[in-house]
Amino acid sequence: MSLNVDRDSMAFTFKGGMLPMTVMELTSADPERIREQLASKLSQSPAFFQHTPVVLNVEKLDEPHLALERICAVCRAHKLLPVAVRGGPDPVKQSAWALGLGWFPPQEASRPRALESVADAAPAGDGKPDAPEAVATEAPPGATAGGRIYRGTVRSGQQVTAPEGDLVVVGAVNAGAEVLAAGNVHVYGALRGRALAGIHGDDKAGIFCRELHAELLSVAGNYKRLEDIDPRLLGTTVQVQLFDGQLSIKSLD
Amino acid sequence: MAKIIVVTSGKGGVGKTTSAAAIATGLALRGKKTAVIDFDVGLRNLDLIMGCERRVVYDLVNVIQGEAGLNQALIRDKRVDNLHILPASQTRDKEALTQEGVEKVLDTLNQDFDFIICDSPAGIERGAQLAMYFADEAIVVTNPEVSSVRDSDRIIGLLASKTRRAERGDDPIREHLLITRYNPGRVDLGDMLNLDDIREILAIDLLGLIPESEAVLRASNQGVPVTHDDSSDAGQAYADTVARLLGEEVPLRFHEYQKKGLLSRMFGGTRR
Repeated sequence: MSLNVDRDSMAFTFKGGMLPMTVMELTSADPERIREQLASKLSQSPAFFQHTPVVLNVEKLDEPHLALERICAVCRAHKLLPVAVRGGPDPVKQSAWALGLGWFPPQEASRPRALESVADAAPAGDGKPDAPEAVATEAPPGATAGGRIYRGTVRSGQQVTAPEGDLVVVGAVNAGAEVLAAGNVHVYGALRGRALAGIHGDDKAGIFCRELHAELLSVAGNYKRLEDIDPRLLGTTVQVQLFDGQLSIKSLD
Repeated sequence: MAKIIVVTSGKGGVGKTTSAAAIATGLALRGKKTAVIDFDVGLRNLDLIMGCERRVVYDLVNVIQGEAGLNQALIRDKRVDNLHILPASQTRDKEALTQEGVEKVLDTLNQDFDFIICDSPAGIERGAQLAMYFADEAIVVTNPEVSSVRDSDRIIGLLASKTRRAERGDDPIREHLLITRYNPGRVDLGDMLNLDDIREILAIDLLGLIPESEAVLRASNQGVPVTHDDSSDAGQAYADTVARLLGEEVPLRFHEYQKKGLLSRMFGGTRR
């Protein structure tokens, strides 16, 4: 924290961030096979392919040389934007850099589950509170409209995420808990924790809750802390939305 | 088959050990064969509260590491027949506890006892997680203040995820709320959170409410669980709590401020 720097003279600031990212786990290095599968996916869920950034995971491939450039071209042709490569031997790393992509070291343990397998089990959230301790259950691509429903109290230390679409919490979000969604966040109970809507940058997203006591409200990265919130609005039913880059909290009563 | 109940809270100093001792005593007084285990390895307290600190030879860690048999380590309570205490080790740390070891101890106790009360250490680390891991029910001890309520909230979240029942997908642990150190006068003044606010935030069943009482401090220092002091408000409140734990319907007491009447003021007030 260099307090002497004049804020207006700074061109940028570095900020750490955890962005949800789609990982494309390659099980074939053949660009043609990838093209075929992408084409059929595109017809199933066109909403998913909107210049979506993806990380190409090549850990499962056992090939020293990859036609990385062609694979990237196939992805771009289907409106997927490869931003980085994960895993692979040194030549793969070099060619990733040559293509202007980032490279991540392989992640042996706790590899992300394939989106397909989650899609089957996905209308998660009903029934068991399955997402304690910062578990981000991935919603299926294309189910953007569906999002995720969580029933029960989201407790201190827990994090519930809807990486695609809206998150609906039927219950309270307690202090120290965090709820996040790519789309809107609805809380049918008291909101005492943190709520972040539009985590991919959707500035049309909003937060709706029955009883506002939130520690933090954020839409597309614009946030307000509890301290910044008009005390008259506390405890009321509100909607939170962005207007001209400003977070506006309006009573619904 | 014993019912395994963990007494937990997240925050320290809210009355876990006092409550574990009082509830275990209450269950034994009601004729239930009860064992109470101190999981606070390294900060052993339960034996003091139970008044058996001079009779500790072996402890939980000795049993887990095979240095003593369970029957050698269990201390029979002098006041109530059906009550046994398994103390913690003061010279070790929580790393000495293993999941397999704890499971073996509980499995053995399971055959002979009706209730096994696990007195959890504060925090959410290994000791606390092992104390709750095998539980069937949980008593979450909370004081009427915001930090205690938030820590309890965190613990309830862990009960739903970091326990055997949760991992196996069995019926979830039954969670009960026990509010201790409740002072209706200070609640009315706004110094303390009130009962309804705590219940609303934590959203679990209320098992009991123990008023702030001199009897609790006295009981701790004398090493006599407060349940034995049946003339005290706290003793009666714990007896009510035990009755509810056994499935009885008992109305809530001690949650409203009682103005002292003229007579009790004149004679010094016997309700302590």
